[in-house]
Amino acid sequence: MDRDDLSKKRLLFNLAALIDLGEEITSDKDFKGVIKSSLYLIMGTLSASRGAILEYEGGRLQFLASKGLEGEERAIDLLPEELTFLRSHNQPFLFESSSLFLEGRQKWEALLPVLVAPMIVKKEFIGLITIGKRFTGEAYTQEDMDILSVMAKHIGTGIYNHNLLLSLSQKVEENRRLYTELQLVYYDTIQALAAAIDAKDDYTKGHSRRVARYCVALAEELGLSREEIEAIRIAGFLHDVGKIAIDRSIINKPSKPTKEERMELNQHPLISYEILSKVRFPWKEIPLSVRYHHERVDGKGYPDRLTGDKIPLLAKIMAVADAFDAMTTDRPYRKRLSIDEVFREFEREMGKQFDPRVAEVLLRRLKKELAGEVKERRLLMDEGMEEGPSLRRLYLRRIN
Amino acid sequence: MDRSFVVIKEIGDCGIIYANGYLNGLGAERLEEECEQLLREGIKKIVVNFKKTELINSIGISVLIGIIEKVRSAGGHLGFCNLEKVHAETFEMLGFTKYVPIFPSEEEALISMEKRPPYRGRASRKEGSDG
Repeated sequence: MDRDDLSKKRLLFNLAALIDLGEEITSDKDFKGVIKSSLYLIMGTLSASRGAILEYEGGRLQFLASKGLEGEERAIDLLPEELTFLRSHNQPFLFESSSLFLEGRQKWEALLPVLVAPMIVKKEFIGLITIGKRFTGEAYTQEDMDILSVMAKHIGTGIYNHNLLLSLSQKVEENRRLYTELQLVYYDTIQALAAAIDAKDDYTKGHSRRVARYCVALAEELGLSREEIEAIRIAGFLHDVGKIAIDRSIINKPSKPTKEERMELNQHPLISYEILSKVRFPWKEIPLSVRYHHERVDGKGYPDRLTGDKIPLLAKIMAVADAFDAMTTDRPYRKRLSIDEVFREFEREMGKQFDPRVAEVLLRRLKKELAGEVKERRLLMDEGMEEGPSLRRLYLRRIN
Repeated sequence: MDRSFVVIKEIGDCGIIYANGYLNGLGAERLEEECEQLLREGIKKIVVNFKKTELINSIGISVLIGIIEKVRSAGGHLGFCNLEKVHAETFEMLGFTKYVPIFPSEEEALISMEKRPPYRGRASRKEGSDG
C-alpha cells in the first residue's frame, strides 16, 4: 500500500470505529458493557495498549473500565486545582505537557497516561479517558487527538444520559415511597380524628370506625368503583366530626334529649359539612355525603329535608350504615335491638327513612353472614371483638 | 452482538488459537484469555489463525494488541496466519506487521515457529506454573 492508500484506509478505519461507537452508546446493553466496549473501541482505533475510563463523583475519579493496566484500580482523589484544570479542558491533551500533574504524579502512575481526554457535557465534568502509549511506541498524531476528542464527547454524553436516567428513576421510586407514606399518614390522621370524635361520646366508642366498615361493605355489595369505595370509607370515618362542636353533656345525656337539645344535636351534619368542605379531599363527594347522612328518602330528615333522588347515593349508604350501628349498640336511653328487630326496623323503614335498594343490600348481606355464606364478616363481628354486634349475642337474643 | 468462537489446538510446543467469527464485541476477549492461559501453561509459541474470521473492528484490534503485549512480555513468539487481504492491510496500516510475522498458512507458521528457540519448559497444566 502506498501513502495515499494507507491514509485512505486509516480514514475508513476511524470512520468505522466512530460508527461502531455510536451503535454501542445507543445500544440497550448493560452500562458497564457499553463503557468497556467503548474503551476497547478507542484503544483499537489508537492502537493503544493501556487505557481507562474514569467517572468523576464526589471529588474522586472512579474506574468504569480499564484495559492493560498494571496494578490495582484505585480511585483517584482530585485536588481542587486539578479539577479546575480538567473542567476547563474539553479537548484531549498530552499528560506530559501539563505541569499541573507534575506534583502528586504517583496517583496517576497506574494509568501511565499519555493522552488525557476530559469528558465535559453541558459544562459538567463527567470524568476522564486516559490512553497509555501506543503499542508500537510511536507518538500520537493530531489526527489521533481529533478522533479521541469526538469519541470522548460521545462517551461523556452516554455516561451523562445514563446518570440522568438513573437519578430520574430514583426520583420516581422516591416519589412512590413518599406517596405511600403520605397515604398511610393520611389514613392514620383520619382514624385518629375518628377516634377523637368517638371519644366525646361514651356510648358510641368505635362508632365512626364501624360505620366506615359498614359503608365499605355496602358500597362493595352495590358494586361501586374503587374511588367511590375509598371516598365512602373516609366519609364514614369523619361523618360525625361536627359532634366536636356540640356540648358533651347533650351527647352523653342518659335520657331522651329535649326538643332544644335535639335541635342542637341535629346541627352536627351541617357542622361536619362546614369542617370537611374546607379540606381538599381527592374525593369531592365526601362533604356532601356527610351533610346528608341524616336525610330520609321521604323528606322528613335533616338538615335539608331532601327527598329520594336528591340525596346522593353515598349519603343513603351512610344513613343505612349509621342506623345499623345505632340499632346494634346500646344507647344511653335504650338497649340494642335483637337481629329480628333489626330486620323488622329496616323492612318497615324501606322507602321512608331508607333507600329501599340500600336497605335491601344490607339485609341480604346480613342474611348471608348469619348463614355463614361469606368469607369475611363485615357487618357481624366475631365473638371476642369489642366493637360491633357480636354474632353470638345477636343469635342468643334472636333465639330467646 | 458477540459471534466469536475461539478454538484452541496444541501442536508440539506451539498453541494455535482459531479466531473464528466476528471479532467486534466483548466476546473477542476470549482470544486474549485463551492466550493468557496458554502462556500460564508454559506454551510460549502462539499462532493465531484467522481463516474463519469474518470481521475485525477496533474492539478486535484492541484484543489483538493485548495478545501482542502479553506474548511480548512473556518472552514468547507470536505469529498470525491465513489472513484475508483486507485484514492483512489493516494490520499493516496499524503496524502489527513490524511486531508479528504473518504467514500465508498454518503449516508455514508452524515451520517458522519450530525454528524459534525451544520453549523454556512446561511443568504441568496447572494455572500459574509457567515453568
